[in-house]
Amino acid sequence: MAISRRRRPGELTFVFILAGFSAAALWQAYLISGFSGLSKPGVFPMLAAATMLVSGLFIVADAFRAGAVRSDNGLSVFSRFVHDVTPLRFMIMLAIVAAYLFSMPWLGFVVSSGLFLLVSLLYLWRKSFWVSLLLAIAALGAVYLIFRIAFQVVLPKGALIPPGIF
Amino acid sequence: MLEFLNYLALSWLDPQLLFLTAVGTLAGIYVGAIPGLSVTMATSILISFTFKWDVNSALALIAGVFVGGVYGGGRTAILLNIPGAPSAIATAIEGYPMARRGEAGEAIGLTTVMSVFGGIIGIIALALFAPVISQFALMFNSRDYLLLGLIGILLVGTLSGESFAKGVFAGGLGVLIGMVGLDPMTAEGRFTFGTISLMGGIPYIVAMIGFFGVAEAFVQLQTLDIPAVKQKIDRIVPRFSDVKRYFRVAIRASGIGTIIGALPGTGGDIAALLAYDDARRSTKNPQVPFGKGAKEGLIAPEVANNAAVGGAFIPMLTLGIPGDAVTAVIIGALFIHGLKPGPLLLVETPHLFWFTVGNLALANVFLLVFGLTGIKVFTKIVECPKAILMPLIIILSAVGSYAIQNDPTHIYWMLLFGIIGYFMKTYGFQVGPVILGVILGPMMDANYRRAMIGARGDVGEFLWNFVSHPISLVLSVSFILMLLSQTPLWPWIKSRRARKAGEKSSQETRR
Repeated sequence: MAISRRRRPGELTFVFILAGFSAAALWQAYLISGFSGLSKPGVFPMLAAATMLVSGLFIVADAFRAGAVRSDNGLSVFSRFVHDVTPLRFMIMLAIVAAYLFSMPWLGFVVSSGLFLLVSLLYLWRKSFWVSLLLAIAALGAVYLIFRIAFQVVLPKGALIPPGIF
Repeated sequence: MLEFLNYLALSWLDPQLLFLTAVGTLAGIYVGAIPGLSVTMATSILISFTFKWDVNSALALIAGVFVGGVYGGGRTAILLNIPGAPSAIATAIEGYPMARRGEAGEAIGLTTVMSVFGGIIGIIALALFAPVISQFALMFNSRDYLLLGLIGILLVGTLSGESFAKGVFAGGLGVLIGMVGLDPMTAEGRFTFGTISLMGGIPYIVAMIGFFGVAEAFVQLQTLDIPAVKQKIDRIVPRFSDVKRYFRVAIRASGIGTIIGALPGTGGDIAALLAYDDARRSTKNPQVPFGKGAKEGLIAPEVANNAAVGGAFIPMLTLGIPGDAVTAVIIGALFIHGLKPGPLLLVETPHLFWFTVGNLALANVFLLVFGLTGIKVFTKIVECPKAILMPLIIILSAVGSYAIQNDPTHIYWMLLFGIIGYFMKTYGFQVGPVILGVILGPMMDANYRRAMIGARGDVGEFLWNFVSHPISLVLSVSFILMLLSQTPLWPWIKSRRARKAGEKSSQETRR
């Protein structure tokens, strides 16, 4: 087979992780009920994990066959990975999103979402503080109105926020 | 005779029912379009406050939400590349490239008209063939459902991913996620690692929001600085020539949608994918290649999922078996109102059957009206800077994941799926098969075990059953052909046949 494409930076590592995960999943599926019967709860998970493992090995082989990562400008594979796959903006937003989601049980939906909206708008949109604040409040108000008032969806309450306030 | 016409027209003539159907359809379109809000969720919330109403009003509202919601899922698929519902996964493949060229208005207009067409076909089928189709669906065995599930996942796997192996891997991963939790047959824990929060399993909506909503938001970060495409919305009502041109695709897709919808356990999601695949195979010379915004591929899934609504009502009303998650909830609503969906429903309460038929038709008329009018407001969403859109998608995703069971751990699952989805997308994996695997996995597992128990655990008998029954044989052969068409064996056979044909013709010319 002719080399039709080049590997993306980090691809080899990723597909190896996938294959490893499949093997671990197969082992965990085996632990459910082993080979004790063909209609036991563990059989279908084992089939699913085995399918993943086999296709995962094909994917690994395919990644090996592909050409090496393009290395223009003399950049190493790792710095290409950082540049293409995990750029700074992605990592910062990931951290902000994670902080938002993990703070929700403590601050409650309204406070944590308001802070998240404000911070991410300031970082991504780069307009003045007051415009961002106004937009954050308006957007949050709309979300609250649609979900809490119209659809009666229960929104997470915060452990640190006194009951009765949002 | 006249009485049934009376029930058929009931919701068209009663102002209150007319209004409720209109409100339901409008709400359904927007609920369906918001990725975090599912039609299933909206219907179950509706039932919680309509159970005190009289049965006609409640059913009018619910039918509207169902019809509107199935259609609405395609909107965000076209505009944001985030399917609002699983049945819109295939819509995104062709619809989003159109929106990126600024043709979102045209895409939405075309899908609206064609969706209504499919919806009407499904309803006609419901009215005419309910008894016949339900008889046919009754002949489907558990192994046939297993095969249907496998074919569904395989289809998505082959759609537009980089390689077949990646599609299969994604499908397997989805099935694995769907297996988490207590086994419904024996209550044994699977992949629960002794934690209580994993015993209830991971709802497929959480996986869907993570893999589509959050992952897409992260991918969008890379193109944040590219200005949004200005959408042309001057042409919304599609050209008549276009409607005529794609009529063949629409007819085929409505047939597929109705039949798949009528099969218990399979609904609009599988119908849409099968119809998309059929359109791709049967269209010889598309104006735009598939995957880049082919209108045939845009229309087929949307027609099919709306046709599946009418189809899904067939087993629901005649057999009491839900066609998908939403009809399962509607069955619950019927029970609340003292009705017994099943073979006796047509005998005991025929008026309810004809009322539903008339009501669904009315909802489709409203779909045409609201579908073609609200587009300007809707397309503004895409023109909104991504820097504003991205945080909003995250917030909506968090609300959607939490709202299903009010469980904060689902939000963390959503984030994890979002990160995995981001890397999978980066390295050329499709996330569609994952979602389909999560949804179909438990159904396939249950049917596999039923089939195996039916064969008394004998592998030989189990496999023999797949070829000894006509329906199973047809499904098995199509499954194997689909597998073969993805292996290197297929091009080899094809090239051999082509070479033989070439030798033959060259011999003939020599003569």
